[in-house]
Amino acid sequence: MIEGFRLGVFSRGTTLWDGLDFAFGDAAAWFIAGPPSSGKTLLLAILRGERRPDAGDVVVSGESLYRGNASLARAWRASCGHVPEQAAADARLTVGDLFRRSALAGGGVRESERKSRAARLLEMVGLRGASEWRVAELSISERVRACLAAELLRGPKVLFCDGVVAGAGVPCREMLWGLFRALAREGNTVVLAERTIPERWALAAGDAEPVGPFRVYRLPAKGGPG
Amino acid sequence: MSERPSLWWIEWRLSRGSLVRESIGRFLFFCLLGFALLSLLLSGGVDRFLADRYAITAVLRAEVPSAEAEGLARKVAALPPVRSAAYRDPEAAWKEFLRAYPGLDPLRGAVGNPMPGYIEIRIRPDRLTGADVDLVASALRSVSHVELVLSGEEWLPRLLRAGRLASWACWGIFGAFLAGFFVVARLQERARAVALAGDFAFLAERGVPAGRLALLRAASSAVSGFLLAAAGTAAGGGALFLSLRTFPLLEGVIGPPSDLLLPRTVAAAALFSLGAALLSAAASLLGWRTARSVRK
Repeated sequence: MIEGFRLGVFSRGTTLWDGLDFAFGDAAAWFIAGPPSSGKTLLLAILRGERRPDAGDVVVSGESLYRGNASLARAWRASCGHVPEQAAADARLTVGDLFRRSALAGGGVRESERKSRAARLLEMVGLRGASEWRVAELSISERVRACLAAELLRGPKVLFCDGVVAGAGVPCREMLWGLFRALAREGNTVVLAERTIPERWALAAGDAEPVGPFRVYRLPAKGGPG
Repeated sequence: MSERPSLWWIEWRLSRGSLVRESIGRFLFFCLLGFALLSLLLSGGVDRFLADRYAITAVLRAEVPSAEAEGLARKVAALPPVRSAAYRDPEAAWKEFLRAYPGLDPLRGAVGNPMPGYIEIRIRPDRLTGADVDLVASALRSVSHVELVLSGEEWLPRLLRAGRLASWACWGIFGAFLAGFFVVARLQERARAVALAGDFAFLAERGVPAGRLALLRAASSAVSGFLLAAAGTAAGGGALFLSLRTFPLLEGVIGPPSDLLLPRTVAAAALFSLGAALLSAAASLLGWRTARSVRK
């Protein structure tokens, strides 16, 4: 369980939001929709333990991320996966390099295991044989999917995705819908932040809980997208 | 090779070109430094050059028999500061005199051989000090067979001081090159840390402590620094060995090639490699710190 208590952020000389309460239960896929510049990326950074909120606290499984032991916060970050809105575009990097450093962050995955899992994950996100492709030469959709696949290599317990659904594009929505719910069924937690939720996903998720400028949906574990 | 990826491995994977270039550059630099270090160790700066040219001459009395003079030379050779002591009988002294001053043969016709026998004493390079020269000269003067001891006491202190200054200058130049290595290595490490900033940020975001990253990089740098320095010193030593064999004249300035394998020379090379490892690790840590402060 990830809980945010009375979270507040002051940015650019003004209060972006304050006093927000969140509760993301385990083994579920959560969808946070919010307008541009509402602080979705900031919220994910705060929930990941990367950025201390200007007010409030984040509690993970009963432990404070920002007021507790620093090693606990590090362990939490190590257990998280993160697909950023702006994926790495380093000219040197290949898709295989993304997997390599993801494996490194995970404390070491055997080379042979990494290669076979990377091939399976790339195939799953529609990028079969992309291991040697340069990230800088990929489209935005391909880049987002490659980063997502690389994060999944470590099998993170909690996956934060920033703009992944929009970045991956409409043709990949069905795949992502199935993937996120499958992850949730396996006991993982997925937190998605997007500007808008796809209409069919919103229909399937039902009523959203309004939290400040955001609307929080819980994606259903079973059933099709609307 | 372990299948588990390491930070060294990922640096190698992500910036192989720059790592290869850096390693080749460092190896070549260590070859030069190793050559210079071993040359300095063997020569003692300018000590061996001076010791090769400096000799104490003990002029013997005319009536001293050759057997006794040779016995005296053997006793002098046993003194700790003495490298060699060679007796020249009056006949050999006369021939040397004629080689130096040709055309003076008539001198001998009138009064016979006017040259006395003498003992030429050479001092060990590492014992060429005023005190040791005094020790040998005093010992010779107390011998009744010795008429005169020529040890250059008037000018020797000035010569030794100049030699000491020259040796310090040699070591200073060596130290400056070592410091240059440190500065360049630090800049290289910093450039690599900046180039790989994205990867390190990725790892830090995922709970890998920045301190651990820095330590792993420094450890990798230390290991590669040690190996490159050891290999470079060995290559430099090989080049020095070949140079000494090819140009025997150099032996008078640097020393015999066999000295390269003396335990103290090997120990000094190992210490140098360890020092290079420490400098490499320090350069890595400082480069990392500077790169992080630039990013902030």
